[in-house]
Amino acid sequence: MIETHHLSKVYSRGLYALRDLTLTIEKAEFVFLTGPSGAGKSTFLRLLLLQERPSEGEVFVNGQNLATLNRREIQEYRRGIGFIFQDFKLIPSRTVLENISFVPEVLGVPAAQQRRRAFQVLKWVGLQHRMNAYPHDLSGGEQQRIAIARALVNDPVLVIADEPTGNLDPDLSLEIMNLLREINAGGTTVLVATHDRELIRLVGRRTITLEQGKVVEVA
Amino acid sequence: MRSLEYAFRQGGASLWRSRGSSAFAVFAIALALIVLGALLLVTWNAEQLLARWSDAAEFSVYLRDDATSDQRGAVETAIDQSGIAAGREYVSKAEALTRFRREFAELSGLTSGFDENPFPASIEVRVRPGGGHDDAENLVKRLVGMPGVADARYDRDWLTRVGAGLGTIRAAGLGLALLMAVAAAVTVATVVRLGLRARRQELEIMELVGAPLAFIRGPFVAEGFLQGGIGALLAIASLWVGFLVAMTWWGSDLNSLLAGGSVQFLPIRLCLYLILGGMLVGSAGGLVAAREAA
Repeated sequence: MIETHHLSKVYSRGLYALRDLTLTIEKAEFVFLTGPSGAGKSTFLRLLLLQERPSEGEVFVNGQNLATLNRREIQEYRRGIGFIFQDFKLIPSRTVLENISFVPEVLGVPAAQQRRRAFQVLKWVGLQHRMNAYPHDLSGGEQQRIAIARALVNDPVLVIADEPTGNLDPDLSLEIMNLLREINAGGTTVLVATHDRELIRLVGRRTITLEQGKVVEVA
Repeated sequence: MRSLEYAFRQGGASLWRSRGSSAFAVFAIALALIVLGALLLVTWNAEQLLARWSDAAEFSVYLRDDATSDQRGAVETAIDQSGIAAGREYVSKAEALTRFRREFAELSGLTSGFDENPFPASIEVRVRPGGGHDDAENLVKRLVGMPGVADARYDRDWLTRVGAGLGTIRAAGLGLALLMAVAAAVTVATVVRLGLRARRQELEIMELVGAPLAFIRGPFVAEGFLQGGIGALLAIASLWVGFLVAMTWWGSDLNSLLAGGSVQFLPIRLCLYLILGGMLVGSAGGLVAAREAA
């Protein structure tokens, strides 16, 4: 599903965020990416989302070399990825249902279909009763479940989560991880960046540890 | 089609949300178009007047005192066969003197001292409306060379000069309006950019989910388009009110200046051009801002 070959990202003044990273993540796999702050976890995710370009090396997703994609192909590629962030990134002026249906809406899906798909995933995360609430009316856990629902509304083949439990207490964190495990059980590849070692231990999946931009352990 | 519908829905909503700052952009566009519209109103009416004067053009062929009736007949035949004359009238020496005394009564004393009538006989020719002015000039040149003809006058220089003057005024006005349009577009871009910053998170999500460019940039272009359209309508409404006020106060003076014609408001075609211009200026400003979105 994801392959990198000698992937490096250098910022100004020769600072390496990632250095010579070669790894493989299989299709339908659930993988943790961990390491201390500044290890390069978020940089790796940004490269996968094509928010940044590698300085050296290559990234292949589903056999596609990301470096060769043009603007239109990047849009097409991103439609197959669901993303979840630590700060949820919900739109405060839209209701819960609108936040989710926003994705199919801006992809040109007909209105009735947008709402139907949004409601289905909302029901799946168990928050259908909050569909007309606004993000500021929800708890942190509820907001993250909405963000997960939004990531799933487009039936992605890959879900990328950057510190999805960073703002949540341990119980809620486990609840979110259970949702991600369910997504993975449906055949979707899930890549979670987190520095929460305890959570990784509880979930118990393959873990890639980064330090100073290099892979130091795969367990 | 969905992207267009989405763009106008979101653009309209953004316009309403930021109605205070949008009013500046609408006002800037309206101001530019009021200047342009007022200029068009004046020059368009002046052009109509010039066209009427041009259509009513005449020339005179002055005959020598010793011209024979055959020579006069030849001149009249040449005029009739040219195809550009709507009519002609022979003015004898005696009639010319009578006209002078009637039209310049205060100068009539000057003519009493002459032993002979100094005014020549002439043939006055009315040029057919739409008749080619070059053809008329060529005919006049030909008539001057005919036997029995002393002179022929077809003075259109003043009409050409007025036309050129109008052209200069229009060019200067267009230049000014263009400058104001650029300023209006910059104002639109600034206002739209404010809205864009407020929606930064939405835009980030749109980019990440792979939304097409039309969905990302479209609402900002649509917002500028709507601002431009509203500004243009405001400008036309202001011009119309100004026109009515001017006609109430100076209507009869202006109409008499037009010698039988009447001052008209801008035709629908020009109003539509103004609206289209406003929308284009607004869209351009919106597009400049939208390029920051993605």
